[in-house]
Amino acid sequence: MSRKRALISDAFNLKKRRNGTEQFGATAAEEGPADIKSSLEYLMTLFPRKLFNDALPQIVLKHQLYSIHSDRTLVDKELNKMRERGDLLMFQLGFDAEAFGLVFTSDYKAKVLAGEEGKTTQPTVERFLEKVVTVCTDLSFTKDKMLKEFLFTDSEITQLVKSGVLTVRDAGSWWLSIPNSGKFTKYFIKGRKAVLNMVKKSKYGEVLKAEIEERRTNSQVKFHMKYHIHDIVGAELVESIPTTSGTLLRFVDS
Amino acid sequence: MLGFLTARRAGLDDPLRLRRAESTRRVLGLQLNPDRDVDRIHGNGINTIDIEAVEGRYMLSGGADGVIVIYDLENFSGKLQYTCKAVCTIGRSSRYVHKFSVETVQWYPYDTGMFVSSSFDKTMKVWDTETLKPAEVFQFEGNVYCHHLSPVARKHSLIAVGTTNPKIQLCDLKSGSRIHILQGHRAEVLSVRWSPRYEHILATASADSKVKVWDVRRASGSLFTLDQHNGDKSKASSEAVNTAHNGRVNGLCFTGDGLYLLTTGTDDRMRLWNSATGENTLVNYGKVCNESRKRLQFTVSRGCSPEFVFVPCGSSVAVYTLHTGELVTMLRGHYNNVDCCEFHPDYQEVYSGGKDCNILAWVPVLRPSGVEEDSDHEVKGAAGQSSVNPAFQDEWSSDED
Repeated sequence: MSRKRALISDAFNLKKRRNGTEQFGATAAEEGPADIKSSLEYLMTLFPRKLFNDALPQIVLKHQLYSIHSDRTLVDKELNKMRERGDLLMFQLGFDAEAFGLVFTSDYKAKVLAGEEGKTTQPTVERFLEKVVTVCTDLSFTKDKMLKEFLFTDSEITQLVKSGVLTVRDAGSWWLSIPNSGKFTKYFIKGRKAVLNMVKKSKYGEVLKAEIEERRTNSQVKFHMKYHIHDIVGAELVESIPTTSGTLLRFVDS
Repeated sequence: MLGFLTARRAGLDDPLRLRRAESTRRVLGLQLNPDRDVDRIHGNGINTIDIEAVEGRYMLSGGADGVIVIYDLENFSGKLQYTCKAVCTIGRSSRYVHKFSVETVQWYPYDTGMFVSSSFDKTMKVWDTETLKPAEVFQFEGNVYCHHLSPVARKHSLIAVGTTNPKIQLCDLKSGSRIHILQGHRAEVLSVRWSPRYEHILATASADSKVKVWDVRRASGSLFTLDQHNGDKSKASSEAVNTAHNGRVNGLCFTGDGLYLLTTGTDDRMRLWNSATGENTLVNYGKVCNESRKRLQFTVSRGCSPEFVFVPCGSSVAVYTLHTGELVTMLRGHYNNVDCCEFHPDYQEVYSGGKDCNILAWVPVLRPSGVEEDSDHEVKGAAGQSSVNPAFQDEWSSDED
């Protein structure tokens, strides 16, 4: 395979100024550390709030960011910084060991408290949000930690599980979770499978990204097509190949 | 490039800087070259290759049929077209050949008079290169997946052996004893590697998803186990605590300076660890396809900046930047799965072997030929064209004038 333009290391890089602003083929988005927050916000807008009657906060998956930014390590570092600052919460969604959901802390708190209006579990949940979620960036909690560090009693833990803020992980430990997110997971997995099948069944197992975004979605796909496309590209379930007619998505058989 | 040379000559730059820049440029220009070939001796897939550390001249390869071949990589013929000839072979006709596939071969680190090979016929043989007869044979109870001799050892001559038995055996070359055992793994040991920095540090990878680092002088167990979540127990499900990967760990490689350790696993991930503390540096390489049930031999470049990792990925070799995790390129050329690859540090070449019985040499592409080398062109040149320096050639006026 002869490469027409060779790979050049940074040391020998000669920068050429381009005069024209026409862009053919796959357009690359401008990247910078600040833009991870804006790509997060952009992905959040793709989340369908009406589908869940506004009961769920906007959830984005971590690997969707990988489809926008090429440097994964940088994305991971930025996300960790945001989590340390307390702006972002990460959840283990359960259907894949590597699929992490991201929610803005403010969104999460607002939705959970709104959902708890008038219920008996409300004060416990409020206390949990205040004491634990703001302070600790863990994804899961063990019984020891809950009892000793955060001083919750057994019955209070039961209330938290009932309200959906904690999900059982195994005997004596719980995942932090989003209440009522079961519907989200169900629609998401169905939609992902449907979109992947659309790519797989296309001729040669590949389809142009622009084309599949325009396609009519069947009843299985409840989310915005772009949401699913970012997901399958970021999770490397399809290969993203830049061509002269735009980005091509090719199904990866593994 | 000229800037680098002038700066080095004037003393403005460290000599190492020019060397590193040029090595990096060469690694980025790796390509299959029609002029460079490796003799095709193996009739079956090639499982392992090793280039000797002393001169970088001879290469060993072990195949799935038990055959071991030694190639001469140096080109003394004076011609551009060169096939790396096989100097000698331990073929199926030899009395001492391994009965089943050879999984690992390694040259003795200090000279080419000896090499060690281990195979699925449950033996490890120490060969004399001169006579091609085994000087010593170590018998084991299970298939031997890998072995490694420390490249920097002065005080010991131990070979670490990983077999289907969870205990790692250390065989002593000098005395032939095998009483030293490292216990700690719970499933078969797929890969062992000595550190190139400290002669007593050994890293082992096992099918129980754990990677342990040992100091062989210690009587008690391992120094530490690599944890992919860096102690953050909340991130994983509780069975995955203290594991390096979410599947079998089948590849280990230290970087040239021994400061970092790379591991690959069947969960399609590659991780970079700080070898002193065991901390996961969390560099994200993305999906590194890995379906190997045995050891995966991959390699890191030496002398470049940034360093590159060459990992066999299906039927091509993927090249990643070590510390940023960026996929630089895929070296495509094999017809079937690639099983092993090795980096030649002196010439910045990569040799890879796979199931298609080929060893391919990836050679840095040469700079486009300059003005001085036009003696060939003069002979072949178009009629009437004088051999004018292309820089002075008249591009504007047409020939009809």
